[in-house]
Amino acid sequence: MLQLNELQRDALGEMFNIGVGRAAASLSQIVSDEVLLTAPEVIVVRRDQAATMLIDAELRQFSMVSQNFSGPFDAQALLVFPESNALEIVRLMVGPHMSIEELAEFEQEAMCEVGNIILNACMSSLADLFRISFESTLPLHRFGDSESLPLLEGDEEQMVLILQVDMIISQQRIQGHILFLLSVSSMQSLLDCLDRYLREQGLA
Amino acid sequence: MTPGGMDALLADSLEIGLVVLDAEARIVFTNRWFNRHGDFTADQTRGRPLLQLIPEAGDTRLEHAIEHATRHRLPSLLSPALHGTLLPLYRTPQERQSGQRMQQMIHVLPLREVRADATCLIQICDVTANISRERLLRQQSETLRRNSTQDALTGVANRRRFDEVLADEFRKARLKHSPLALLLVDLDLFSTYNTQHGRAQGDRILADTAGILRDAIRPLGDLVARYAGDKFALILPGISATETSHLAERLRRQIAGQGWPHPTSSIAPHLTVSIGAATMHPGDDGDTHTLLSSADVALYQAKHDGRNRSILFSPIDGSFMTCS
Repeated sequence: MLQLNELQRDALGEMFNIGVGRAAASLSQIVSDEVLLTAPEVIVVRRDQAATMLIDAELRQFSMVSQNFSGPFDAQALLVFPESNALEIVRLMVGPHMSIEELAEFEQEAMCEVGNIILNACMSSLADLFRISFESTLPLHRFGDSESLPLLEGDEEQMVLILQVDMIISQQRIQGHILFLLSVSSMQSLLDCLDRYLREQGLA
Repeated sequence: MTPGGMDALLADSLEIGLVVLDAEARIVFTNRWFNRHGDFTADQTRGRPLLQLIPEAGDTRLEHAIEHATRHRLPSLLSPALHGTLLPLYRTPQERQSGQRMQQMIHVLPLREVRADATCLIQICDVTANISRERLLRQQSETLRRNSTQDALTGVANRRRFDEVLADEFRKARLKHSPLALLLVDLDLFSTYNTQHGRAQGDRILADTAGILRDAIRPLGDLVARYAGDKFALILPGISATETSHLAERLRRQIAGQGWPHPTSSIAPHLTVSIGAATMHPGDDGDTHTLLSSADVALYQAKHDGRNRSILFSPIDGSFMTCS
């Protein structure tokens, strides 16, 4: 299985943190309040391991936004929050004066946009630094349980980049995950881009 | 977009707003819908920077989305929930007068073909009607959902929900290699209580018992359900046999301790309960049925031993233990 060495992991983690930093700025602007986003570390696992990790993280009922990116490498990007956390994000973003029923009504489309902001920011950060470009589908929101995670179907060989994200809105800390599902060949292309970047920077 | 051509004809017939921008975010084309609802003329819009036409869109998410589409060629969605009425568009002249903007769903998309004179498409849908309809549908489906998973009398989960959650927790416990416990709580001689005090009072006791059980469990993960007429079931993930035993006995004492008078009972002057408990590691042989029948066997034993007691049955070695 492909693995990241320490240098690659640090570089990729830093790139994604630039991305989530930009996403935080966009989110702050929408809510007119400071939103902080950090993704402390990035790990690479096999598809089946990712599913187990998320189940362990108590993601039984989750709220998920996905976008498919294609370009020099293809990735299905997912932003996954436990369902209760997603509702909390929408509550904090749309306003605390709303009832749960009203919030639930806005939840899917609002999460779609939050996901769109974060996933686009991560991928455009890679695109900028690697000087490549991607095409993408529009974001799609789904509710589901651990059984219906797209992680559980598809190619055994698929690999997953996992970032844990910490979001802080109005002093509340909300945790979720960003996942990038890549085929082995796409993962290899991503690593090639990364190595080229590191060489250009004189780091490898 | 060639004015007068087929594509312009189509674009002008659409019931959504279209704005095409060039690489400098200047307007290349706006369709009739956009001009009508924005009260613009084609001459006013063409060639003008969008942010000059609509200055209030500056430094908003729309501006960033345009940049994303132009520079990164990535699509964005601006939801009515977070932006609602971002652009000054109105459904009717009357609503314009009263300042009531339409609710908008906006997509900002890169154009497929890379060319400097047309790079970005903004698409606007009027979702004012959807938003009020959605609200109604949500309320209705929420009511339906609650009715189909909740016991109407006691407010705890119904049997159907119990079956779903038990299967779900069983699967989860197997994945996590953790134990799963089940308690069956049965009100002793409840039919004679009902006969003596009337059904309305019996219903109150059921609701109060459900309340005691609900207060005793962890709000996340555990579940109390009305399993049958006077029988409740508790699903308790991740707790050991010893903890299960303590909980069962504590609940038995607590309910008996309410001192609900039951003069015709042969067991005590007040209402009592019998509890059957079982725990297992779902990794072992067996399924949800094994767990359920183990708790049932324990409950039967508790009744057989004279009621007003709690018994734990171990499906592994077939042993009974009085809870304490």
